[in-house]
Amino acid sequence: MKTTFIHSFIRPTISTLMLAAILGSSGCAYNSIFINYPAQIAPVKQELNTAKPMAELDKLASNIQGNDGLLYAQEAGRVAQVAGDFASSKKYYQQAVAAYTAFDDKAKISASDIGATATSLVLNDNAIPYRGPGYERIMLHQYQALNYLFSGDYQGALVEVRRSNELQSSEQERYQKSQKSVQAMANGTIDAEVNRLGQAAGTVTSSFLNAYSYYTTGVLHEVLGEPNDAFIDYRKAAQITPDNTYLQQDLVRLAKQLGMPQYDEFKKRWGDAKLPKAGEGQVILMVEKGFVPEKQALTVPFTIHGNWQTVSLATYGPNNSYVPETQVQGLGTVLKTEPIANIDALAITALKEDLPGTLVRQVARVYAKSEMAYQVEKSGKPGNNAADIGSIAMQIFNVVTEQADRRSWLTLPKQAQIGRRYLNPGEYTLQLDKAPPAKIDVAAGKTTLVWAIDTGNYTRIYSIII
Amino acid sequence: MKQFKLIFVLAAVMGLAACQSKVEYGDATEVETVNENFGSTDLQAIAAKMVDSMMTFPPIVAITANDRPILFVDSIKNKTSEHIDTESVTDSISNKLLRSGKFRFIDMTKVDSVRKQLDYQNNTGMVDPSTAIKFGRQIGAQYMLYGNLSSIVKQDGSTKDVYYKMTMRLMDLETGLIEWSDEKEIRKTKSKSFLGM
Repeated sequence: MKTTFIHSFIRPTISTLMLAAILGSSGCAYNSIFINYPAQIAPVKQELNTAKPMAELDKLASNIQGNDGLLYAQEAGRVAQVAGDFASSKKYYQQAVAAYTAFDDKAKISASDIGATATSLVLNDNAIPYRGPGYERIMLHQYQALNYLFSGDYQGALVEVRRSNELQSSEQERYQKSQKSVQAMANGTIDAEVNRLGQAAGTVTSSFLNAYSYYTTGVLHEVLGEPNDAFIDYRKAAQITPDNTYLQQDLVRLAKQLGMPQYDEFKKRWGDAKLPKAGEGQVILMVEKGFVPEKQALTVPFTIHGNWQTVSLATYGPNNSYVPETQVQGLGTVLKTEPIANIDALAITALKEDLPGTLVRQVARVYAKSEMAYQVEKSGKPGNNAADIGSIAMQIFNVVTEQADRRSWLTLPKQAQIGRRYLNPGEYTLQLDKAPPAKIDVAAGKTTLVWAIDTGNYTRIYSIII
Repeated sequence: MKQFKLIFVLAAVMGLAACQSKVEYGDATEVETVNENFGSTDLQAIAAKMVDSMMTFPPIVAITANDRPILFVDSIKNKTSEHIDTESVTDSISNKLLRSGKFRFIDMTKVDSVRKQLDYQNNTGMVDPSTAIKFGRQIGAQYMLYGNLSSIVKQDGSTKDVYYKMTMRLMDLETGLIEWSDEKEIRKTKSKSFLGM
């Protein structure tokens, strides 16, 4: 009698101890297993909306060594970049790039991947090291290119642009498998049929491919003296976002300047190219608004063998908030920017694509957890206190550890907008909506690139003459 | 029992030693294949090929037969998708050319420092005017050496193929004619391992 008591007491205790050991060993490495990721990043986003955007940066950066280092490096890089510290941002982004490369170089069957998946079966998907979706990786290189540009290293900026182009083409390839309309994009034929498709499935294409990345790489190609490459990128951006009049004008202008065969067709559709008058300079505006939405958790409780279980899936809430265009004052008549890409749409598509894999792991996890609970319960006789405690502990453990994977790059903007105008050389005081004005210079025959990041209450404006 | 202890201690020591990181000297010209990125072997292959090609090209042999032409190296444009120190490539090439004794070089990267020094010698009143080096006495370059480094990267599942092409040209500054041109191609293919960490 005594031995059975000890036996039934020890069995659940051992499994609880083992679980504690798993948790203990992983507790230091996994940041998002118990505290959901959006809650961790919320203070960072709040700081970005104040005059001290870098306050949380050290805390963020200390996580780069951890399991989700890639994600924290992306966030830290973005925070430093929004704050205007392009040198630090470059360093953090480099760490993120290195993490992506390490993922690329991993063996097909990797012991560490298997280990992470196994841990995820006992805990939750947050135990699997974060690996961003395609659009995040492209945006990383796009932003790194801007870091190089604003630090004055043009050749470095072009290297990042090319990296971004390489990734864009592999994303395009991936998308081609699901959508035929992209094939037309690869050929660059903006014909009426594709236009029609673009309008019908416009939101679909733009939720797979990021026109903002294409536009940024296009702008960098153009201002750094590679107009031919710029034309290719603009054309792809126009395929994704066909209604943007600035983009249409860019295409007509470059087609004219480069003597492209598409010039007549573009002219017919969008009107003739407006070229700068002698002595005029050019201002290109890139405006980023808001923050990309956070993933929400959808939790469903149910019972198996009379034990409580939950499943928790990541999802996005209804997305109705409309981002208004930006009114830019101080450049002659009021300039209205136009949206080029909705980053939130890209995020939603990326999640959709992840769902099948998540569900498979979810089913396996429910099974593993219910078996654990069942074993603990079975090992004790009914009415035995210790076994009951073990069983209850197991159920609590199962419910507590069942957390949706809500990780994603959260300091990205919600929407990107663009604008462009020719101006006489001189100093201009620029005002975006109701934000405090900022001074920019325009030089004859040169381009002033203005990059504005509006995080809600705070708008930061960076400009460079190239 | 004593032997067991000894074996145990030895095993423990060996186990610990295996975990220690170590530093070793290697041969600088050894083939390096740590990853598929632009590396020392590529740099050395490019420099060797370019210098060989230039020195054996008959018109260049004729130019250098009785004279040591003066060259300057324009930077090599990096058109790849990697951050590569192209100055290091040009340094290697100009080093080899200079060491051949057939060419002389003007270093355009040091013009600012030279100007500052001459300014100091001539305009500050600190240097004896009779020993100060005068402005406008340097010799102009006759030829310009320049180039492009481009790459094509393709990736499909577990295979990554990187192709580099380095093109170099020598231009006669007086006539604008290209006196010599050559290219070096490098192809590297990387396939992922099946099992690993």
